[in-house]
Order: sequence, then C-alpha cells, then structure tokens
Amino acid sequence: MKFFKRKTSIFAATILSVIVLIAIITPFLRLLNPYDVNPKMRLLPPSRHNLFGTDQFGRDILARTLAGSRVSLIVGMSVALLSLVFGIPLGLISGYFRPASLFLMRLVDALMAFPSILLALALMAILGKPSIVNVIIAVGIVYIPRVARLVYSATLVLRETTFVEAARAIGSSTFRILWRHILVNLISIVIVQSTFTFAFAVLEAAALDFLGVGIPPEIPSWGGMINENRLYLTIAPWTVVFPGFFLLLTVLSLNLLGDNLRDFLDPYLRRLV
Amino acid sequence: MLSFLIKRLSALIPTVLLVITLSFFLLHMIPGDPAAVLLGPNATPEQIAALKHSLGLDRPVFVQYVKYMARVLRGDFGNSIYFQQPVLKVVLSHAEASFLLATLGLMVVILLGVSSGITSAVLSRTAYDKVFLSFALLGASIPSFWLGLLLILLFGVRLRVFPTSGFVSVLSTGNLSNLRYLVLPALTLGAVNSAVVARVTRSAMLEVLHQQYIDVARAKGLNSANVILKHALRNAAIPIVTVLGFVFAGMMATAVVTENVFAIPGIGRLVVQSVLRRDYPMIQGIMVLVAFLYLVVNLATDIVYTILDPRIRLT
Repeated sequence: MKFFKRKTSIFAATILSVIVLIAIITPFLRLLNPYDVNPKMRLLPPSRHNLFGTDQFGRDILARTLAGSRVSLIVGMSVALLSLVFGIPLGLISGYFRPASLFLMRLVDALMAFPSILLALALMAILGKPSIVNVIIAVGIVYIPRVARLVYSATLVLRETTFVEAARAIGSSTFRILWRHILVNLISIVIVQSTFTFAFAVLEAAALDFLGVGIPPEIPSWGGMINENRLYLTIAPWTVVFPGFFLLLTVLSLNLLGDNLRDFLDPYLRRLV
Repeated sequence: MLSFLIKRLSALIPTVLLVITLSFFLLHMIPGDPAAVLLGPNATPEQIAALKHSLGLDRPVFVQYVKYMARVLRGDFGNSIYFQQPVLKVVLSHAEASFLLATLGLMVVILLGVSSGITSAVLSRTAYDKVFLSFALLGASIPSFWLGLLLILLFGVRLRVFPTSGFVSVLSTGNLSNLRYLVLPALTLGAVNSAVVARVTRSAMLEVLHQQYIDVARAKGLNSANVILKHALRNAAIPIVTVLGFVFAGMMATAVVTENVFAIPGIGRLVVQSVLRRDYPMIQGIMVLVAFLYLVVNLATDIVYTILDPRIRLT
C-alpha cells in the first residue's frame, strides 16, 4: 500500500502501536505499579531505579506515565466512535432531506458557536461527578456536530451527482441510495476526520483533567499528572515533562496519520466539500 | 451594505435564540433537583425552597423558559451564586485580562503564522519548507498547558525575564509595562494557534504563486517583495482571513487553559472556577456571551472579505 511508503506514516504507526501495546500490557506488570506510595522516595530525579523520577508521594513517574496512556486511548477512541455513530446519521438525514436540515443544522450551528473546551466544561458541570464515562460524553457531544456538519456538506454535493439521480431513476429506495451510493462515497473523508477527532479528543480530555474537572485524580492520566505536579515544576520538572511528552507524541502521531490518510484517500470529494 | 448587514443579522437570530435555549436547558439537565445540588448536602429544606423560589424553579418549565429568554435578551443574566452580584458585572470585571491576552495572542499568530506561511510557500520544496512543516505539525499537536509550563520553566525560572503568573490591570493603573505579565501567556496562545494559520497561508500562497499574473508581474521586472506582498498575498487573503477568524474563536477556547496555567484573572479562569463552584447562572451567562461574541466575529470576517476582495458582492 502506497500509504506506508511514506516514512512519516511508518513513524506514526510505530509510535501509536507502541503506545497501544503499553496500554494493554502495563496492568500486568507488577514491577511498575502506578499507585505504590513511598514517602521516603519523594520527588527523586530520574535514576536507574526510577527512570522518570518520582512525584511528591514517591510514586514512580514512569509507571504512572505508562498507565496514563490507557485513559487517553480509551477516551480518544470512544469519542471518535461516538461522533461517528451520531454524526453520520445526523449529517446524512439533514443533507438528503432538506426540511430536516432547517432544524438539525441550526442546532449544529448553535452547538458549534460554543468554543469546544467551554462546552465540554459546561457539560462536565451538568454531568456532575468526574468520571471517564462523563468525560467521554462531554467531549463526544462537542465533536458530534463537527462530524455531522462534514457529512451534511458532503451529502449535499453527492445527492446532486448523476449516479444518485440514476439510482433514483431506476427506483432504488431512499435507504439504499443513502447506504450504497452516498455513505460509501463519503466514508473516506469521515475516516480521515475521525483520526483528527481522536487526536483532538485526547488533547481536550487531557485539558479537562488538567483543569481538575476531568477524571478523578487518583486514576493516572497525563493531564491529571501535569496538574497535580505543576506546583513542583521548579524543583522536580521531570514530573511534568514526561507525561506531557507522551501526550504530545500520541497527538502528533495521530495528526501525522490523519494528514497522510487525507493525501491518499479520495482527494476528489475533499475539494468539493 | 446596510441591507447586507440587516440580512446577515436577521440570519443570526435563530442561532442566537437556540444558543440561549441550550444555555437554559443547561440548568435543567442537572440530574435531580438543581437547587439541592447548588446548595450541597448540608442544606435545609427551607433553604432549598427559598433558592428554588429565587431562581424561579418552582414555576412551570415553559414559564421559566419564556422569562429566561426575555431576561437574557434584555441583557440580564441573573445573579452569580458565588459572587452575589449580577453575572454581567462579574464577567465585565474579568474582561480586560482576556481581551488583552486575545489581542496579543492574535498579534503573535499574525507575526508567526502568516509570515512563516508566506516564507515557506515562497521557498516551497526546500529544506526550510520541510522544517517549517514539521514545526507546524508540532504546534498543532502540543498541549497548550504543557507548552505554557515549559515556557514558565525556561523564561520565568531559568532566565527570569518574564513574570510567570498573575496580572495587574493596565486600565486602572495606566501602566503599559504591566503587559509583561501577558508575554508568556500570549506566546503560548499564539504558538499553539499559529500552526493552522501557517498551513493555510502556505497553501493559499502556493495556489496564487502559480497563477499567470504572477509570472506577468515578475516579467515586468517588479522586485520579489512587491510581487509576493502586493500581488500574491492580496489574492491569497480570503482563506487567511477566514482562518484568522476561526482561530480567534479557537483562542477563546485555548485561553481557558492558558489563563489557568498563568493564573490570569480572565473569563477563562472564571469559567473553570464557576464549574468547580457549581455557579450555574455564571456558567450560563458566560456561555451565551462567548457564543454571541463568536457569531459577531464570524459576521465581521464576512464583512472583511468584501473589503479585501471587491469581487465578492454583498447580497
């Protein structure tokens, strides 16, 4: 496949696979316990025993950083899925049936008029207690309108094409047209978009954790670690630098993958939308 | 022009009404009794009943909705539970820091994003262009709060050139040097948002630079700077302005995080504190005001188009 001829694709795919592997394997490693508290070993710099150093409770930063990958991947993936499951039907329906768009797209406009983090914050305030599920719901609601809007504009273009007209002329059902002719043709841009949604969701959720309204602080997450360690930034910078670096690597690989996918998958529709 | 404005403003009405409606349901989507949630577990039934009455929660939802809508349209967002003051007054008292931060941030974006985008389009397919593209990708991927903390570590702690937190008003002290508090935050905000502007500028410029009138301009013997800035940039301006308007909205969002990193008493910090304090009227008010600002910026962007490109007619 041409896609993997690019060095950047291989780089991004490798990093992502390693992070996914880390997320799956680390719970089974006894040596690296992210919850082990050791008051004698507070704020130690990186050394042979603690490769990334320790935090103010003497917990191993390496163990916590590796464990933090789980939260980021779960949230990112779930938000990307959620935005597809709700965004695609919403966009298809409002793009194909004009009357529906009058209401649905106004609602999408209104939701998109709120800056993303502000909407996520307000939703966290409504949902009440901090939890992974609530973060997924809050960030998911932020990204559903974005997918819906993309699918909507692609559907508007596709429904005027000759092959859709032909399908209608030979008496295909509306469902068949939407499913076999429109969805199939816009799926590539939606896949590209969901790679970016994944990346944004990881960043957004980390920002919520950093602001202290995301997931509960005892669960290791990159944003949460940076938040609880920022007080020690000047005396123990490693507590902040390492989790942030992993966050950056994850988002960077996702963005790279999205960029390269966009170049390889159907550039034709991209121009029209 | 006037009829265009009226047309565009009236098109905004449904969106504004929906925004207000969404903010109304914010308070009503809280599971359980909002008044009880607001007052916490130690509240007496009398206190809950009193708060319910003062928030109007004891009336039918439809009546509440109509009253809320009428109130908000008159500019009355109710009282903050925490500050015991009108929401609008509290928001305005936090507006100076946010406004200055956004302005400085936008300046960084224009200086950094637009200029590096132009340079890399002119030098496309060179080593500079490759380095530029990597930086743009890095900027789009870096968590703003982490970048902010790294800047604090470098400029505030190691080099000791800029203050690392807080803000002193420029308006009430009249002292412009207080802007130094905003240097690191504006750099953070600008760097993160420059990436997308730089990429759009680059591709818009690349498209224009291949047009024939650019060749003609060069053939006439105009110097490069003239060709690039007067002939090319002017025609590439539409997508750049679009993305700048879009980025301004993005900055309002990133500012929420940045203000919290640098402890700047702006609207972004206010909203996070209001979420933690469960000050729902405050959250509602900020959401409506920010969404409104965003819609106005969108409209302003459309008006700027017509100034930049007379071919776009206001219809």
